[in-house]
Amino acid sequence: MTASATPAPTDEEIAALVGHRFAGGERKVEHWENWLLTDCTQRPPMSGGLLHPVVLFHVPIQAASTSIGEIFSICGGGAAGSVTLLGYEWDFLAPLIEDVVYRGDGGIVDANRCRDSSGVILHDDICFVIELLDPTDRTVARVTTRWRFLR
Amino acid sequence: MTVIPPMEPWTVQQVDPQRMKTMAALLRDPYPIHWDPESVRDDLHRGRTVNQGPLNLAYIANMLMAWAGDGSIRRLTARFHGHVVAGDIVTASGSVDEVIVLEGETRARCSVRLLRGDEVMVSGTAEVALERPADPSSLPPFPEESA
Repeated sequence: MTASATPAPTDEEIAALVGHRFAGGERKVEHWENWLLTDCTQRPPMSGGLLHPVVLFHVPIQAASTSIGEIFSICGGGAAGSVTLLGYEWDFLAPLIEDVVYRGDGGIVDANRCRDSSGVILHDDICFVIELLDPTDRTVARVTTRWRFLR
Repeated sequence: MTVIPPMEPWTVQQVDPQRMKTMAALLRDPYPIHWDPESVRDDLHRGRTVNQGPLNLAYIANMLMAWAGDGSIRRLTARFHGHVVAGDIVTASGSVDEVIVLEGETRARCSVRLLRGDEVMVSGTAEVALERPADPSSLPPFPEESA
C-alpha cells in the first residue's frame, strides 16, 4: 500500500463529510448485465430473474446518482494503492429482480481520522449507507460500506 | 426440526484478470489496480491485478447459494484482510453458528470466509434462509428482525 500523493483534506473537511447526501436517482439491472456480473463471479446464471447479490456493491451507488470516482473525489483519495475497502454490510430485505427500477437514497454517515502518536495523519475511515427502494417505496436492500483512505 | 445439509467449500481455481476487466467496466470503477498491470508493478503484486472486493465477497455468496439456493441470502457482512490477485486460488467456506426462526422463516446464522491457502482474505457473517417459497418473483418482503 502507498499513500496518496495529493494533500490530505483538513480535519474540518473530513468532519464535514458526515451528512453529505447523494443526489438520489433510479437504477435497474437488465438481464444482460446480471448475466455478465454473475459470469464474473464464476458461477452459472442466476435462476428466476433474481439479481446476483454482488449487485449490492455498485447498483446502490449508481442508483443514488453517485459513483466510485465521485466518492473517492469527495473523500480526497483515489490514487493507486491509496484506498482500501474495509468492509460491507449488505441487508437483503426483499428479492432483487431483473428489470425492476429501484430508487437509491443515501449518504455519508461516518468519517473518522486516525493519526499516529506524533500527530501525523495516517488514514481516514469513511462509511456510507444507501438504501434501495422498489416502485412501491418499500426498502428492499440496505448497504453499509466502509473505505479507508490512506494519507 | 430442520435438517441442515453440509455447507460445501466453493473454490475458484484461478482468479481471472479478464473477468476483473469486465467487472471494472460494469462497476464503472476507475481504480487501475483492477485492470492495468502497470499500476501494480510493486514487489507485492508483481504486475498481477487486484480482484475487486465485491468479487471476493461474491465467491462467498456463491458458496452460500450453492448450499441454500439462489435468493436465500438475507444478510452478508464482510471484512477484507488482503488483496486477492490474478491467478490466485481461493476457497469460500463457512459454518453454521445458530439456527433461528423469524416470522416463520428458518434461517441459519453463519460464519463465512475466503481463504487463499491458509490465509484469510475475507471474513464475515451471513444470515441465510433455509426454507423459502419456490417462485422468487412472487415473494413478499423478507421478515426483518425488529431492532
